[in-house]
Amino acid sequence: MLKPGGGQVVVEGESAAQLNDRRRAQLRAERFGFVFQDAALDATRTVLDNIVETALYRGQPREPAVRRANELMAQFGVELRSSAKPGQVSGGQAQRIALCRALLNDPRIVLADEPTGNLDPSSAGVVVDALRAQARSGAAVIVVTHEPTLVATCDRKIEL
Amino acid sequence: MSALRRWRAVARESLAIALAQPVASLVTIVMVAGMCATVLLTTGRTVGAEQAVLGSIDSAGTRSIVVRAEPDSGLDTGVLDRIANIGGIQWAGAFSDATDARNSAFAGGTRVPVRLAWGDSLGALGVSAHPALPDTSAYASSQALQQLGMPGDVGGLVATTGADYAVVGKIAVPDYLQFLEPLVVVPQARTAESKPIGVLVVIADRPDLVTPIAAAVLSVLAVDDPTKVKVSTSESLATLRGLVKGQLGSFGRNLVIVIFGLTALLVAAILYGLVMLRRKDFGRRRALGASQGLIVALLLSQVAGLSAIGATAGSIAAAIGLASGGDPLPGLDFFVAVSVLAVAVGMIAAVLPALVAAKRDPLRELRVP
Repeated sequence: MLKPGGGQVVVEGESAAQLNDRRRAQLRAERFGFVFQDAALDATRTVLDNIVETALYRGQPREPAVRRANELMAQFGVELRSSAKPGQVSGGQAQRIALCRALLNDPRIVLADEPTGNLDPSSAGVVVDALRAQARSGAAVIVVTHEPTLVATCDRKIEL
Repeated sequence: MSALRRWRAVARESLAIALAQPVASLVTIVMVAGMCATVLLTTGRTVGAEQAVLGSIDSAGTRSIVVRAEPDSGLDTGVLDRIANIGGIQWAGAFSDATDARNSAFAGGTRVPVRLAWGDSLGALGVSAHPALPDTSAYASSQALQQLGMPGDVGGLVATTGADYAVVGKIAVPDYLQFLEPLVVVPQARTAESKPIGVLVVIADRPDLVTPIAAAVLSVLAVDDPTKVKVSTSESLATLRGLVKGQLGSFGRNLVIVIFGLTALLVAAILYGLVMLRRKDFGRRRALGASQGLIVALLLSQVAGLSAIGATAGSIAAAIGLASGGDPLPGLDFFVAVSVLAVAVGMIAAVLPALVAAKRDPLRELRVP
């Protein structure tokens, strides 16, 4: 998101410090998936619009993005009316919607900030399984968490 | 994705954002509509009045140059060939000195002046280029026909010189030939031999061209005795026209600048407030991969769309208001110009808030509760 203030950040062979804003934005849209602590959904837009939002940033046509979004929603058990708004869903569903958005582009790098922080055990299990599956597919999944159960599923742990 | 599809996607997203913020969108539309309506109801009304005043002045012949020559001055039809090379002339015609003629159907009728006429522009008067009786077919004005007693617009004329002419039609006398009324003209084919003329009328394309064209026409008259030629132009009327246009135009421009400036400030303030309210939204978009350019494009296209709706609504409302009040409408081009300017002002006002939105630090904004 920002230019590094020191050291080097290399993403798939490209030094982030050398990239302009447009290229960095393109990298985030194409290679990264973000799961924020509070889901960070746009309350004024529908659930489907929230999930396919990043297609615009990648320059991807909307139709295939909508198909992929429907697959992910079915996979994570958030099959809602297409007109449903984030304010009409539970916290667990909101986080799963955010997960759908993060995985829409099949990212190579997933950054998740307390992805299970506000979830019940059942919803947390769905999120953890999805992140594990993405890691098994070859993606780097970086999680910041206080949850011991989630920590236990990680391959590498760094304590701060 | 092609550039066109990408722009369509941006437009679609902008529309969705605008619909998701109905109050802010409505306020923007109302502001721009108010701006357009105010400009059209004030400056537009002034422009309409100005066009009406200028139209009246123009109808009095602000663009005419009239050369009158005494019979032995030496002015002849050759001048038409010479002035044909002068630019900025809309119409030119040469007329002989008048010969009195009366209706040949009865003796003692009212006499009217008959003039032979030359020039390629005569067709503009409603005169046939190829009359049935070359050089003897005459065309008369309503006033002349009435004086001659020819209600059917046709008949015979006999001149005091003994020449006979056949009236074959009626002509509409334009403002710049009113001084020749009652007018009867006999169009003449151009021949190699130049014929003497008594009146030359030249109409400039624009009032501001009258002075230079008058000078150019004078330089190609080629008369034997310049003291026997009198030139009258509408230069003073053209000057008056310029003053009227300048003063009314200046008043309108200043008013437009003030109204557009104030509205631009208000639109900018609204959008800036909107950006501050939605900074988390912009932060999320940036984090998820929206470039700064895309954020600016989203906001500008949103404002462009809302401004276009507002400008259309304001223009329609103002047109209805002006028409219902019986005021002159300023013309479609003025409506279009004000609408385009309103959209441009809206977009310019949106640039700063859009840049502020694009520069938001996503890491900080995402922490906004």
